[in-house]
Amino acid sequence: MKILNNLKFFFINNLIVVIFYTLSFNTFAGIKEFPNLLIFTFNLQMIIVYFYVLKFPSNLGTGHIFLAGIINDVVIGIPLGTSSLSFLVLTFFTTYIRTATLRSKMTTEWITFVPALFFSNLVYFIVINNFSHLSFYYIELLQNTFFTFLFFPIFYYLFINYETKMLKN
Amino acid sequence: MADSRDDFIIALRYSLLKKGNKQKFSLFFLISLSILVIFLDRMSLPFILSTRAVLNDFVYQVTVVASTPGKFINYLGEIKKNHFNVVNKNKILKESIETLKIEGYDNFFLKTENKILKEALSIGGIISTEEVFVMPARVILDQESPYLKSLLINKGTKHGITKGMTVFSKTYLIGRVIETNFLSARVLLVTDLNSKIPVIIQDTDINGILVGTGKKTNLVLEYMPEEFSLEPNKIIYTSGKDGMLTAGIPVAETYLSKKNTIKIKSLADPQQSLIVHVTNGQMSR
Repeated sequence: MKILNNLKFFFINNLIVVIFYTLSFNTFAGIKEFPNLLIFTFNLQMIIVYFYVLKFPSNLGTGHIFLAGIINDVVIGIPLGTSSLSFLVLTFFTTYIRTATLRSKMTTEWITFVPALFFSNLVYFIVINNFSHLSFYYIELLQNTFFTFLFFPIFYYLFINYETKMLKN
Repeated sequence: MADSRDDFIIALRYSLLKKGNKQKFSLFFLISLSILVIFLDRMSLPFILSTRAVLNDFVYQVTVVASTPGKFINYLGEIKKNHFNVVNKNKILKESIETLKIEGYDNFFLKTENKILKEALSIGGIISTEEVFVMPARVILDQESPYLKSLLINKGTKHGITKGMTVFSKTYLIGRVIETNFLSARVLLVTDLNSKIPVIIQDTDINGILVGTGKKTNLVLEYMPEEFSLEPNKIIYTSGKDGMLTAGIPVAETYLSKKNTIKIKSLADPQQSLIVHVTNGQMSR
């Protein structure tokens, strides 16, 4: 019983890390059943990294970000280390925003998500262009980035509520 | 001015070097490590390749488990589709059987005629000495990322799979092996942007390169003569000019789209493939 309780305690406290790794391992095969929704695909990992590094940096370690990135690369089939570097650049940019900002508001954080995404994707493009022979589906990537930006507030309130209300209870 | 620059540098240095609460590594260390991993992966040293193969196999096995809920949704969708399509399919299949029967007679006649003509021209009897390798494999994952449209199969170097081998589904070419691990391999689909296959068009002697665009119903022919225009309902076969694929494997067909433009679609449906055949370039029958 004590083991179960410990396990439950671990999962509740590290739920976001578990979700983050699950997203890395997952291929989202089920979404193919809804072809009309494919246009709305977005990168939840980017939102999680940005939000947690900005608001609750102690809940999502940079080591986890690095490792999840490596797993992501293996699953997608791109050069090893690309997603890690991209996530870490996002982390770096977010840490800088956190350090430089005195009063944080959701809207300002939402706006600063644009350059953060830009730099992160830029690193992604540079690495893939120079370290592999892969071609991009630019439209898909653009859509993905746009919806990642667009859906940020939804997850912002979802994560804020989870961290402040649920974890307190 | 100088103060603001100092603040900027301090903030940057803090972001890179300062370890946060409960953080074991600094960002600078991890970014350097990522760059090192990218370079090592690029160099393709033997020990890196074997490490990557082990890592790939491990991650793929976990991915299969992690993707189970998604696959279950697909399974439910398939059941629903099958339920509604069974009558129509039966009707179409009956018609297809009749057509195939007639085509079978034609093929038999053409084969006999071909044999006679070869004998007459003294070019018959050329048999490939290359041993045909056919390995059935199960699709464990199909990955559609903005970078690669690929499949993961459950056979790897342990089963004799090597890079460049061709993969068939129901006698149609669906792709090539681009990455091999001990127990798994990645197949680049013909519909992918990075896939390029030398082909020839039915009833013509026009050679071209078939390139994917990411969509099954919209492949593209490159390096075609300027004055050449496509006709609908023509099969596109491999020309065998890459030295890997044998000539005459059906890959795609032309069709008239809703906008009255002629487009090319893949004959196989890679997303529906569950069992595939990996070969060394020969057609899987």
